[in-house]
Amino acid sequence: METPKQQFLDVDRLLESSEVQTRGNYLPLIFGVVVLLTFMVGQALADAMQASPGVVTALKLAVMTGVLIGVSSFSVSSLRRYQRQQLLLQSIDELMHLRRWPEAGTSLERLLSRPARLPQVRVQALIYLGGVLSRYHRYTDAIRVYEYVLEQVRLDAPTDLSIRIGRAMAMLHEDHLVDADRAISELRRHPAGGASGAVALVEIYRDVKTGHMDDAIRLAIEKRDPIRLQLGHRCGDVHALVARAYDVLNQPEAAQQSYRAATLLQPEVELQRRYAEVARLAGKYAPAQQPQGDA
Amino acid sequence: MISADHAIARFRRDLALGIFARALLLVTAVGGVVISGSRVPSGNMIGSALMIAVMIAWLALNRRAARRSRQVADASSLIAAGRFEEAEKEIELGLREFSLARTVKLVGLHHLALLRHAERRYGESAILCRTLLNQRLGTMGNIARPTRLIMADALLETADLTGAYAAITALYQEKLSLIEAVQLQSIQLDYLSQIGAWDAMISGWREKVDMTEIMPTEVSARSQACLALAAKKLGGTTLSTWLVSRVELLIDPARLVAQRGVLAELWPGQLPVSGNAPAEPA
Repeated sequence: METPKQQFLDVDRLLESSEVQTRGNYLPLIFGVVVLLTFMVGQALADAMQASPGVVTALKLAVMTGVLIGVSSFSVSSLRRYQRQQLLLQSIDELMHLRRWPEAGTSLERLLSRPARLPQVRVQALIYLGGVLSRYHRYTDAIRVYEYVLEQVRLDAPTDLSIRIGRAMAMLHEDHLVDADRAISELRRHPAGGASGAVALVEIYRDVKTGHMDDAIRLAIEKRDPIRLQLGHRCGDVHALVARAYDVLNQPEAAQQSYRAATLLQPEVELQRRYAEVARLAGKYAPAQQPQGDA
Repeated sequence: MISADHAIARFRRDLALGIFARALLLVTAVGGVVISGSRVPSGNMIGSALMIAVMIAWLALNRRAARRSRQVADASSLIAAGRFEEAEKEIELGLREFSLARTVKLVGLHHLALLRHAERRYGESAILCRTLLNQRLGTMGNIARPTRLIMADALLETADLTGAYAAITALYQEKLSLIEAVQLQSIQLDYLSQIGAWDAMISGWREKVDMTEIMPTEVSARSQACLALAAKKLGGTTLSTWLVSRVELLIDPARLVAQRGVLAELWPGQLPVSGNAPAEPA
């Protein structure tokens, strides 16, 4: 019989397999029992072997040492397993920074295919999974991951905001405009949302998607400082969307200027891959050229 | 607010206390074993009670240390979020409370150095880093790299170029993560621009430019401005212009020039504010 081929980054499977294994903390109990046993056995031996207290001492010492070694090895092995997962998480983060998406996806598959050691590790891995799925244009899957995290985990305000931003972006890409609009309203009410450059980017994308080009340009000018400060080179996304807005408004000079700014900050191919709307500008406007050769 | 000197004094005292407490527990446990095996009346009972007491104390202190260790670790996310006062409280608590584990104290001091760096109190940050690096870190060796990075940057900010050079060189011996390598590159470019080593700066500029794209905005802009300056000094006008255009999209040049007077050469209209003048080549 042929075994069904597993889908790469199957969200349902990974959500299930990565569930944190809740293990009762039996360590103090085991510890207590061993100590009690040492005491009782020692007492019995002391009564029975009055003549050789040295044997009792040696036995007690051996049991106590055994307990200490056992507990220490258990702690060290738990710590090592946890460190291995942390290292894998760190390498995924690096791969994503380097835009090495297939390797990042493979590592995520590996990490999430077995129970997580700690809830924090799992949440972080799921956030990365949402990012990788978006990169592969699997927006419906990305939305599922983000919603799962938002429903299941209590997050701190900045993490909560970044997940909601990712979800709203995925909704816009998937043309779920009503849901996206609701998500953007939530973002605006979010404690950290008002001054966020990333929220501004989502709003600008929504305006470009829905044909409100003037609003997109106005917002980009209004939120220029937080966008630059918080998004860094990703503010190239905003310039690219503004270029599209100017293009639709038939202002080719302004569109060219924004397109050049966008491609100064981000590779043109990356911007086109990220936004279908920007891909339509390819060949119409000249990108900024990176200097060739040595300095 | 806890001062660097006070924190260091407390840190040293607590490390000594920790060693004493561990030795005391060990001596008591051995004493318990010896007494329980002796012919002293009720010796077995007393000895066993002593051993149980030691084990309970050891377990309780370790659990407390683990809890405190998690709280101290939270301080780094508070610092990253700019919630300095809350971070200060967490760190102070970690440094003030007695802990059997050295880890809590070491991480606490590392986070205090990080906090002072974020607050731009570079002198204090450098002192804290130096104290930490002078310790035998053992299993906590992984905090040596970030601590050295903080120290190199803090020393550069206080214009201690010799100290910064020593810290940067020590980092070459280490295997760095991507984020650490990116931090080192920004510090290194800053250092090289201050000593005027333009050739070294521009070598491998493509890879350096790629790395700047994953830095925080201000650091990225400063690093690219340093590269632009080096390109200009070496006659690479096209590269310099391209980099300057990128920087201008990221930050107002006046802000950069205020931080690093040497960059005024790229934007002649902007005047340097502080006395961070270019140093003579070493």
